Amino acid sequence: MHTAFFETQENDDSILVSLKGDWVFANVKDLELDLDNLDLTKYSKITFACGGLVELDIAGAWVLLKKYQDFNDQGLDLEFKGFKASHFKFLEHINDVAHSGELPIEARDNSFRNRLRRFFETLGRRASSGVEDLGQVANSLIQGSKNPSRLMFKETIRQISETGIKAIPIVVLISFLMGVVMAYQGAIQLQKFGASIFVVDLVAISVLREMGVLLAGIMVAGRSGSAFAAAIGVMNINEETDALRVMGLNPDQILIIPRVLGLLIALPLLTVIADIAGLAGGMLLSVTVLDISSIQFIERVQSGIGLTTFLVGLSKAPVFALLIACVSTLRGMQVKSSAEELGRLTTVAVVQSIAFIIIADGVFAVIYSGLGI
Amino acid sequence: METIISIRNVVNQFGALRIHDKLSMDIYRDEILGLVGGSGSGKSVLMRSILGLHRINSGTITVRGREIKYHEQSHIRDWGVLFQGGALLSGLTVQENIELPISIHSDMDSQTRSELAQLKINMVGLPLEAANKYPAELSGGMIKRAALARALALEPHILFLDEPTAGLDPIAATEFGALIKYLNSNLDLTIVMITHDLDTLFDVCDRIAVLVDKQVIIGTPAEVTQSDHPWIKDYFGNPRALRAQKSGFKE
Repeated sequence: MHTAFFETQENDDSILVSLKGDWVFANVKDLELDLDNLDLTKYSKITFACGGLVELDIAGAWVLLKKYQDFNDQGLDLEFKGFKASHFKFLEHINDVAHSGELPIEARDNSFRNRLRRFFETLGRRASSGVEDLGQVANSLIQGSKNPSRLMFKETIRQISETGIKAIPIVVLISFLMGVVMAYQGAIQLQKFGASIFVVDLVAISVLREMGVLLAGIMVAGRSGSAFAAAIGVMNINEETDALRVMGLNPDQILIIPRVLGLLIALPLLTVIADIAGLAGGMLLSVTVLDISSIQFIERVQSGIGLTTFLVGLSKAPVFALLIACVSTLRGMQVKSSAEELGRLTTVAVVQSIAFIIIADGVFAVIYSGLGI
Repeated sequence: METIISIRNVVNQFGALRIHDKLSMDIYRDEILGLVGGSGSGKSVLMRSILGLHRINSGTITVRGREIKYHEQSHIRDWGVLFQGGALLSGLTVQENIELPISIHSDMDSQTRSELAQLKINMVGLPLEAANKYPAELSGGMIKRAALARALALEPHILFLDEPTAGLDPIAATEFGALIKYLNSNLDLTIVMITHDLDTLFDVCDRIAVLVDKQVIIGTPAEVTQSDHPWIKDYFGNPRALRAQKSGFKE
């Protein structure tokens, strides 16, 4: 229970309300509750005495003023006594500004039809701006390759290091473990048929054809896709891209092309490394659990698995790289103003990169099976 | 005069570089204090130290009788801060930006909360249409005002302003200065501001604190301009400062 904020003194049909205590921000809720319980309708003369007030701030004064207006609307006659000058200035001021206007509240039609319409409108806007931006990326790639600058070359090297070399440890770890897991799961099944040696084929084909490039792609999408979108997005917000433009440098050329080129070089190399790590994982398990010697494993891979299997996997890498780089830089370029937008578009960049990779992988599977490879 | 902020023997050091060396000063209640100093003299560091955003190496800072601890939130309700760039949350409208601290620190109902937020928007002279806008849609001057409204949201006793008039045109800067003066005289607000705007400095400030030689020289504008420290002489002796003094000097 809090202390009272006022005391009342009745005298026939008049009442004296003496305010006391702190009428401040922290007490607003209690103040409002107490004032709501105050019924003054039966009195003809009402006096508010404010001499006992300890502290009054804008929030407290606002509550008092609102109540005053309520009583006024009810046709009651109020009188204030004993205001300290500073308190009075508050009220006067607040009274002035409070009558300067009401906030226009936008009416928003939330019917199902309207929401559906808005949804498709946004969808249409996003689709058209997406096509436009994709065109911009393509255009800058063409322009940039016509007259490459030194800056672009340096930046490309840096991007290869950022997206490729620094990703090696995590890609190796994930691929290695994946190789181990696949060999183990395969071994459990194949041992039942006494066909343990086929674990080698299982691991080699799945790692070389699918898992190596897919894992490398997904790791890069997560690492670099987000980094691309966030870096370019923040540069947009800080007007750094505008600064580049007024210096006569094309931000597309400096920001997009090096990232696309860098990833085009880095991802195939990462794929090779992922393939090796995956095979190593499979071999480790075969040697320790299945009594297949490492010589046997390597021979089996050499004789049983053609070069085409490896090349099929590797051929996907540039396509994946292009997808990741284009989608992520594009999303970064779309960031215009707010931190929230940055977060949303960075997420979109990663999610779409990974989705596109997997869709592309499906398309590749159809094409290669059609070609009989 | 009642001391509201007391700084005693504060040392701030970055590596071997000492920025404040046993710096002591008092800030009085209800005054407007201007904080000036060359680049790297530690104005922002001093302000951040008072706000508990920077860990001081030694010394004590007391605000309203309680000591400041690094990253402790016990003083949040004592002050409002206007950051240099406004630092409005970009994902929220102006109104939501102002309501955010209120909703965290009070259990008042949403109706009263939004009324109070609009009152603050009114007080700083923003048009009401601005309430529903996002920071990215506002001009520089409007961002400063909106940020000031947010700084006032919790009815603070002390207002810290970091370069409040930087980036404003002279008319907007003069208006902003008048607004600061108005808040100071009507809300019993103590105002501490970092500023290099000489007009604002002489027009608005009761006292000026100059950070030089890792120490502070503090006094009324008349006293400080008479100081014979070489940097202060340079600062206040140049033609721009002299012009501002002639027209300014708060009575």
